[in-house]
Amino acid sequence: MMVSLQAIPSLAGSAKNPPSTTSPVIVAQKAEEPAPMQGPAPVKDLPPGGTAIEDLLLQKGTITMDEWIQIRAEQEYRVADQSRRIDSLEEWKNKTELLPILRDKVNFGLNALQFLYGHLDAQVPEGRSQDSFSIRRSEMLFWGKISETIPRWHILMEFQSINLTSNTPAAANQLGTPTASTFFRESYIDVRPVQAWAPNLNLIRLGIFRMPFGIFTEQSGGLRDVISSPYLTQVGGGGGPGQNQNGTGGSIEFVQERDYFIDVRGKIANRLEYVTGVMNNNNFQANALVNTTSGLGGANSPKAWYARVRLFGNDVSFVSFTTIQGESNNAGTLINGRGKGVFDRYAVDFRYTSKIVPGFMVQGEYWQGHDGANATTVGIGANGTCQVTAVCGGSGAPGEMRRTYYVLGKYLFSEGPLENFEPTVMWEQFDPNTSMSNDLYTRTIVGLTYYFENFPPKVQSKIQLNYEFRHHQGLGTGPGTPPYNSATDPFANNAFFVQFQVRFM
Amino acid sequence: MKRVSAAALLLASLACGACSPSQVFAPEVMEGVDEEFDFSRWRALPNQDEGKKVELGGAILQSDVKSDAVTIVLRQLPIVKHPAYGPKDTGKRSGEFAATFPGTLEPKFLQRGNRVIVVGTTKLAKVVVVDDIPRSLPNLEVRCLHIWNTGGREIADFPSFGAGYETLENQTWCASK
Repeated sequence: MMVSLQAIPSLAGSAKNPPSTTSPVIVAQKAEEPAPMQGPAPVKDLPPGGTAIEDLLLQKGTITMDEWIQIRAEQEYRVADQSRRIDSLEEWKNKTELLPILRDKVNFGLNALQFLYGHLDAQVPEGRSQDSFSIRRSEMLFWGKISETIPRWHILMEFQSINLTSNTPAAANQLGTPTASTFFRESYIDVRPVQAWAPNLNLIRLGIFRMPFGIFTEQSGGLRDVISSPYLTQVGGGGGPGQNQNGTGGSIEFVQERDYFIDVRGKIANRLEYVTGVMNNNNFQANALVNTTSGLGGANSPKAWYARVRLFGNDVSFVSFTTIQGESNNAGTLINGRGKGVFDRYAVDFRYTSKIVPGFMVQGEYWQGHDGANATTVGIGANGTCQVTAVCGGSGAPGEMRRTYYVLGKYLFSEGPLENFEPTVMWEQFDPNTSMSNDLYTRTIVGLTYYFENFPPKVQSKIQLNYEFRHHQGLGTGPGTPPYNSATDPFANNAFFVQFQVRFM
Repeated sequence: MKRVSAAALLLASLACGACSPSQVFAPEVMEGVDEEFDFSRWRALPNQDEGKKVELGGAILQSDVKSDAVTIVLRQLPIVKHPAYGPKDTGKRSGEFAATFPGTLEPKFLQRGNRVIVVGTTKLAKVVVVDDIPRSLPNLEVRCLHIWNTGGREIADFPSFGAGYETLENQTWCASK
């Protein structure tokens, strides 16, 4: 701005002298350009299409030479000023182009911010309420691409989950103390060792992330069609009956959502996707069990192998098979319902996304598998397979086969008065011990979702209303079965949830 | 024994999967495509290569939907086989071109940034309005096109987009002859 204020008087002043002996400020600053000459303008200065207007005016005597010089000087000043501005923009462009966020090196987004209202019909202890407001998820996501060889790093922070999880002492008659917490829920690195092998051998992934077990486990919380997690990830507990020697009580996490792992992933012929790897088999808090000085790890590390193959019928419909094989441990466990011994899971799942009826989708999963003997609940000490709780702690239950399945269907209206509404129905059943009767958990969820913005997978703002018809038969049969009161069991009483969600990345 | 069976099942599935085709267009659609087509030359001289059958990749900049046709303005991208088959943004600037499809497409597939492969015939340059500025762009009459609904991300970013698993919708459309 200072330059412009000084430059104009200088140029105007120079017009009173022969231009050839004058050095206007702005021209002098651009030494490589010739000084303005008197007389007709050089051809290169002519505007496209012919002689400049000021030249014509000068030739016709309408303007004086001084005025012509002033006009030309102002024109040159404008050109020089424009050039300076462009140079300045170029300089900033060069600087900003190096910013990691503009080179895909660092990105961030809001994975899910969910505000939840819940009402539960179960009897609650004096002083507590059946209704609650809460933040279900408050997840920020960070990711980036370092190079073709490291195509993704990924961190997900769960700002809501800062409560501590108790450890599980390796001794009977002991209760755990609050120990483990994860501010981060997911952190992983992808490595693509050889570009030419991709996508057949696409990635090696190492870290903690949603496990590739079926559909629900791997689906982001910000894109789920119902509010509650399915029983296959967690059922029981929460104020209901505790663990027992039938293996039917207490909280059971049949399949953990996240774990620490290393695996290899790929897709063959654009039709068959596979993943296989090994994991700790000790849930997402297991990082707290690793001593960073000695390197000594916690229990269960790493103890299980897993694999999934997924066959695509088209781009969005598939059927897949999953298995997990290995060992689990009750001492030091951070997963509810795990015992000591051989551990396995088998699953088949499918998703059909209709192209004939756009907006209609149905999916389902069927899981079964063995848990080791003397399964325990996190925080209740256990050690070994013996079923004498006074000696080994835990539940005293023999290893049991568990089974669960669900079917979910939904239809998104894309036009008409119900546009952006999506009714959803889900039915599921969980059998904590297949050799025991009278222990089934069943649930039917009827939901209605309205999308304010729906551009998955990046953007999804919505409000969800879910009513859950819940039923729990009991804790089994036979001698030693503890008494059961369905009135206080949250999994035996209906529930209603409303959740508002924002997601943008 | 169970573990061996599971491994065998996995390998058998992989072997079967390898038999499946990976090309997005049928062989008859690809017949006569000029493999040596020079996009830069066509971009500079859009009216000199009329009538050539070409295959081009790109990312959607904008689309103009009319009752019987959709005109898509695309930023040209190279088609790669690795890490995932399809158009890939290499970071280098390339030119734009227009592609006119005589038919209708689902709106969600027309969002900005979606990756596209088109097979069609070059036509005379067409004036389209991009960001409120009329521009004369090389024009393609589309025979078939394949769109990946990536919303601006790379095809290879899927299915691990976001914090979970997301299948990548993609679909082929062909003009009725």
